[in-house]
Amino acid sequence: MRPLEFGRLAWRSIGSHRLRSALTTLGIIIGIAAVIAFVTLGASLQAGLLGDISPDDQRNLYGWAAEPETEGGPLAGAQPVFTQDDLERVDELEDVDAAYGYMPISTQALAYDGELTPQSDALIAAGPPYIRPETIDEGRQFEMGEREAVINPAVAGQFEENVSVGDELTIVRQGGEQTSVTVVGITDSSEGLSPFEGFEPSPRVYVPTDPYYTEEVDGIGAGFGGDEAAEDEADEADPADGDDGDAATAEDARFLAIVVEAPSADEGDIDQARDSALAVLESDDSDASELLGDDLEITMQTSTELLQQLQDILDLLQNFIVGIAAISLVVGSIGIANIMLVSVTERTREIGIMKAVGAQNRDVLGLFLTEAVVLGVIGAILGTVLGLAVGYAGAWYIDIPLVYPYEYVALAVAVGILVGVLSGLYPAWRAARTDPIDALRYE
Amino acid sequence: MATGTAVSLENVRKTYQLAEPVHALDGVDLEIPEGSYTAIMGPSGSGKSTLMNLVGCLDTPTDGTVVVGGQDVGDLDDRERTTLRGMTVGFVFQTFNLMPRLTALENVALPQLFQGVSRNERTDRARELLERVGLGDRMDHLPNELSGGQRQRVALARALVNDPTIVLADEPSGNLDTETEADVLDLFDEFHDAGTTMLVVTHERHVASRAERIVHLLDGQIERIEELDSSDASPRSSAGHDPDERTGSAPGANG
Ligand SMILES: Nc1ncnc2c1ncn2[C@@H]1O[C@H](COP(=O)(O)OP(=O)(O)OP(=O)(O)O)[C@@H](O)[C@H]1O
Ligand SMILES: [Mg+2]
Repeated sequence: MRPLEFGRLAWRSIGSHRLRSALTTLGIIIGIAAVIAFVTLGASLQAGLLGDISPDDQRNLYGWAAEPETEGGPLAGAQPVFTQDDLERVDELEDVDAAYGYMPISTQALAYDGELTPQSDALIAAGPPYIRPETIDEGRQFEMGEREAVINPAVAGQFEENVSVGDELTIVRQGGEQTSVTVVGITDSSEGLSPFEGFEPSPRVYVPTDPYYTEEVDGIGAGFGGDEAAEDEADEADPADGDDGDAATAEDARFLAIVVEAPSADEGDIDQARDSALAVLESDDSDASELLGDDLEITMQTSTELLQQLQDILDLLQNFIVGIAAISLVVGSIGIANIMLVSVTERTREIGIMKAVGAQNRDVLGLFLTEAVVLGVIGAILGTVLGLAVGYAGAWYIDIPLVYPYEYVALAVAVGILVGVLSGLYPAWRAARTDPIDALRYE
Repeated sequence: MATGTAVSLENVRKTYQLAEPVHALDGVDLEIPEGSYTAIMGPSGSGKSTLMNLVGCLDTPTDGTVVVGGQDVGDLDDRERTTLRGMTVGFVFQTFNLMPRLTALENVALPQLFQGVSRNERTDRARELLERVGLGDRMDHLPNELSGGQRQRVALARALVNDPTIVLADEPSGNLDTETEADVLDLFDEFHDAGTTMLVVTHERHVASRAERIVHLLDGQIERIEELDSSDASPRSSAGHDPDERTGSAPGANG
C-alpha cells in the first residue's frame, strides 16, 4: 500500500475530528513557533546589531584599558592611557603591521555649505588604516597629519546638498572653535567600522588623530575621555615628560584606545601581535604603564572575540528557548500519542474490518503512523508560520533587518515528522496488533 | 465445474479458556467441495460463527487442521493468513461491517487497496460490482445514508471484489425484509452459478433450502448433514455437480 493512500485515509479521519485534531497539534504549534520566532529574531538581531565581520577586520586587535571585570563590551570603562609614543613603539614591532590610536571627539555641530547640523558624537579620530580599503565606496583613506576626512553616507546625505569627495566640511568643536576638513573619501555603509563604534548606522566623520586629536589636547584638554581622566592625566603626565625630556604638548595626548593590526588573520599571528603589543604597553618603559597601576588592565581583542560575548548571550538565550520548545514538543507528542490511542480504541471495529478484508499488520501500522505524522507535520507547518509571523513582527517592531532562517523551516518540518513518528509508534503498534476477531466483536 | 476441495476441516476444536473451558467447536470434520453451496444451521451458540471465522482465516483452531484453498491455515504465519484471507475468501458479515467514513464505492474498493491495486483499477472494479448488486446510483453514499438491504449489498460487493473462490456469509439476511432478502439470495445463486463456493450461516429454513446441503451444528459438533435434492434446492440448474462426489466429500457427520 502506497504512502499516498495512507495519507488519503489518514486525512479523512483527521478531517472527521477537526477540533480534536487542532487541539492536539497545539503543543507542537507552540513549541515550533517559539523556536522559529526566536531564531528569526535572533538571526535578525545578529545581522542588525553585529553585522558581518569583514575578513580584513579579522586581523585587527582592539585594545583599551579599563578596570578588570568591567561589564559592557568594547570600551566599557575605558580610560585614555596610550600616548603617541606608545603607539609608535607598538607600530615598530615586527609582529605588528600597524598600530594607531582611536579617540572619539565630542563636537557641537557639523557644517557644510553654510548649513549647520547639530552633531555631538560623529567625530572619530584614528589612523588611516582604520578606514579599510574595502569599506571605501569613493575616494581614498585620509592621511596622517593632513586636514582630511572620510565620511559615511549618513553624513554625506544629511545636508540639503549631498557632500561629495573634495568638498569642505566645518567641524564646530565643544569649545566653539571651528576647524575645516576636506572630504577625501566616502564609505559604502553607515554602519560602524569597528566594534568600538557599535554597528548600528549613524553619521560618522573619520579624521586622522594628528592634527584633530592633538589639537584638541593643545586646546581644551582631552575631549571625550571624561574630564576626570584628563585631570588624572595632567597630574601624572609631568614625570613622564621629565623622563623622556620631551615636553611637546602633542606627545601628552592620551588615546582612549589602540588598534593593532596583525600581519594576517591567522590565529598564531594575532596571538603573537597581541602578546608583543601587550608586552610593550605593560612594560615599565611605556607611558601607558604609568596610568595602568593596579586598577587598570588592558584588554586587546579581535572583533570576533569581542562579539563573542554578545554571541554567547544570544546562544544562552537560544538554548533556553530551545529547552522550552523541547518541553513543549514533548508535551505535544504526548498529546498526539494520547489522541492516537483514543483513536485506536474508537476505531477498533474499523481495524477489525480492514484486517478482515486483507489489511496486513504493516498496513494498519502505516495508516495510524501516517495519521500521527500528518498531525505532527500540520503542527510543524502552522507553528512555523506562526513563529515567522511573530519573529518578523518583532524584528519589524525593534527595527532590525529581517533574516529568513530557511534551514530552520526545513528543520521544523523534520521535527514535526519525528514527533509524529515517535508519538504514533506505540498507538499504531497497538492498532496493528489488534486481533481481527476481537475487533469485530468489539461493541 | 471444479471438483477439488475448497475447504476441509479435520477434527477441528476451538476452545475458549474461561473459568471453565468453552468448546465452541468440538471435533468437527467437514469437507466443502469447490463450487458447492452449503448452508449451516444450528441453535444460537452452537459454533456457527466460530466455524466461519476458522474457514475465513480470521481465527486458528485450538486443535485439528483447517485447509483452505489447499493451504493449512495453522501452518501459515499472520501475514500469509492475511493474504489468503484477502485473496481467497470473501466475508459477508451479519452486521455488514462497512467502514463508516468511506463511501459505498470506497468500501467496495478497500480490499484491493491492501492488495496494492491502483486507484483507477480499484474504482472501476468497485463500480462494476456495485452496478451488479444494483447500487449504481448509490456509489458515493456513506453507509449511514443507505438502507439495511443496500448496506448488505455493499458488503456483498466488497466480499466479491478480489474474485474470491469462497464466499462466506454469516446470517446475511438476518436484518432484511423478505423482498431484499430474496434479492440477496438471488445474488448468492448467481455467484454460485459463476463457480464460487458458497458457505452461508442461517437460522431460517427457506434460506438454507437454497443450498445443496445443510450442515446442522449442535454444541460445537456436527449433528447431521442434510443433502438437498438439487432440483428443489433452487430454481437454477445444478448441472456439473456429481452427486457421488458430494456424498463422498461430507465425512465426519458425527451426530
Ligand atoms: N471469544 C470468545 N470467548 C469465549 N467464548 C466464546 C468466544 N467466542 C465464542 N465463544 C463461545 O463459543 C460458542 C460458540 O459461539 P458462536 O459465536 O460460534 O455461536 P453461533 O453459533 O454463531 O451463535 P449465534 O447463532 O448466536 O451467532 C458460544 O458458546 C460462545 O459463548
Ligand atoms: Mg453467530
